[in-house]
Amino acid sequence: MAKRPGGELATRPLHFIWLTDCSGSMSIDGKIQALNNAIREALPHMQTVADENPNAEVLMRVLKFSSGAQWHVSQPTPVADFKWVDLQTDGVTDLGKALSLLAEQLRIPPMTDRALPPVLVLISDGCPTDDFHKGLQALMNEPWGKKAVRIAIAIGEDADTEVLQKFIGYPELQPLQANNPEALVRHIKWVSTAVLKAASSPASQAVGATASGLNVPIPVPLAKTDPSIAGDVW
Amino acid sequence: MCGNAAMNEWRTLKASVRGAAHDRTGLPNQDAVRVSRFNDARSFIVAVADGHGSAKCFRSQRGALLAVVMAKQVCAQLFKLGSPSQIKRWAEEELPKGLVRCWREQVDQLIKRQPFTPKELEPLDAASRQQVETHPYLAYGSTLLVVIVAPGFILYLQLGDGDLLTVSAAGEVERPIPKDPRLIANETTSLCSDQAWNEIQVRFQTLAGAPPALILAATDGYANAFRDEAGFEQVAGDLWALLRDGGDAAVKPHLKNWLNEASQQGSGDDISVGLIWRPMALPGMPQSPRLE
Repeated sequence: MAKRPGGELATRPLHFIWLTDCSGSMSIDGKIQALNNAIREALPHMQTVADENPNAEVLMRVLKFSSGAQWHVSQPTPVADFKWVDLQTDGVTDLGKALSLLAEQLRIPPMTDRALPPVLVLISDGCPTDDFHKGLQALMNEPWGKKAVRIAIAIGEDADTEVLQKFIGYPELQPLQANNPEALVRHIKWVSTAVLKAASSPASQAVGATASGLNVPIPVPLAKTDPSIAGDVW
Repeated sequence: MCGNAAMNEWRTLKASVRGAAHDRTGLPNQDAVRVSRFNDARSFIVAVADGHGSAKCFRSQRGALLAVVMAKQVCAQLFKLGSPSQIKRWAEEELPKGLVRCWREQVDQLIKRQPFTPKELEPLDAASRQQVETHPYLAYGSTLLVVIVAPGFILYLQLGDGDLLTVSAAGEVERPIPKDPRLIANETTSLCSDQAWNEIQVRFQTLAGAPPALILAATDGYANAFRDEAGFEQVAGDLWALLRDGGDAAVKPHLKNWLNEASQQGSGDDISVGLIWRPMALPGMPQSPRLE
C-alpha cells in the first residue's frame, strides 16, 4: 500500500489525576493507609478499562496537598506502567495551592486540544486552610479545568462537603461520602472504572445540550452492597 | 479570475469510514460526505457532516445526511445572484440562517413522518428525554462543513468541529477558517444549537489570483488521529504531492484504507474527507470536470 499521508498517528490522551489530602488528620484512624490500599487495589481494574478502549491513552498523575502542594507523581504515566507509592501525612490542608498547581498543568500547552476530558478526583477529610476560591478560580480559568470531569470523595464527617461540591461544580453530582474503608474502596473503584470508561469514550454533543451541563455522562455510583458489614469509623 | 478552462481542471475525491470505536460497539458511521455539481455544470459543492454520537442524538446519522443534501439545495441560490459582492453579502448574511432553517424544516418533516419511538427514547434518563421532547432537533444534531468552488469564487463554510485546509501549488498549508478554541472535550456547535446561524463561519474568496491546488474538508476524527497539529496538516501537503505526481490513481484506491488506519491507530472516530484538487495540466489528464 502507498505510504499513508500525514504525520505520526496517536491515540487520544486521557489525563486521570488524583488530588489527595495528605494533611495530618489523614493519619487518624488509618485513613491514609485505607486510601493507599484502595487506589492500589483499583489499578488492575483501571488497566482493564483502559484495555477496552485502545483509542484512549490513560495517563495517571498524583498531586498531594498538606502544608503546600506538590506532585507525588508528576509525569503523566500510562496506567499499565503506573505503580502506587504510598502517601505520607503531615501538616494542614492547602487545597487552594493544589488547585493552582493543577491549573498550570491543564493549560494548552502542555495539554493539547485533541485530548479527551481529563478526570480529576479530589479526596479530602477536612477544610481548606488556604485560599480555596483562588485555586478553584485558577482551575476554572483553564478550558480543560472547566471541561474536566471533577469528582470528589469526602473521607469522614469532618470533610467540608460544601467545598467539595464547589469543586465538582454541578449540583446533580454530589461528593461521595466515605465513612469507612469499605466505602472508600467502593468509591475509588467506581471512579477508576465507571467514570474512567465514560470519560474515555465520550460521544460528541452540541454545546449546552446536556441537561446537567456535564460534558461526559457520569454513571450512577455503585450502591453499598451490605449496610450491615461496615459501620462508620471516620 | 478562474475561468471555465481552469474550472475544468478541478477534480474531487471523497471517502468516509466507520470509526474503530463504532466498530467495537456496533454503532453505524454517523458522518456523511457529498460531492455534487450545480446546474451550471461548472460549479460544485463538497459537504461534510459529523452527526453527534451522544445518546440524545440517536438520529444523528440521518441528521448528517440531511445536512449534506440540503446544503446543496440552499447554496444553489448563490448562483441566482449577480456580482461577486452580492454573492459575498448573501453568503455572509443570509446563507447561515437559510441553512439552519432548511435543515430544521426537513427535520420537522422527518419527525412528522416518523415520530420518536419508545425504543429510541428508552435509553435516555428522564431529564434527557424531556430535553429531546422539547428540543427534538437534538436527536438529529450534526456539524456541517461546506466548500463551493465556482468560476469566480470559492466559499468556505463551517459549523462546529472538523477541519478545512488548503494547499498552495508550492505546498503551503493554510486554514481558510481558523479553529474555534472553544471546541474541545467533544463539545461542538451544531445545526441543532440555539441560534446555530450565529455560530456558522463563512469565508468568501474571490479568485483573483492563483486558487489553492488542493482543498481538504474533514470531520474531526481525522485531525484527532494525529499526535499533533503539524502531523494532521501534513496530510493535506502529502495528498497534494501524491495527486500532483500520480493523479487520482495515487490516492483513490488507498484513501479508505488510510482513513481506517487513522481511526484504528488514532482517534477511533468516524472519519470523512472531501478533497478538491487542481491538476497542473499533466499530460494525459482528462479535461472535463469529474466528480467522484
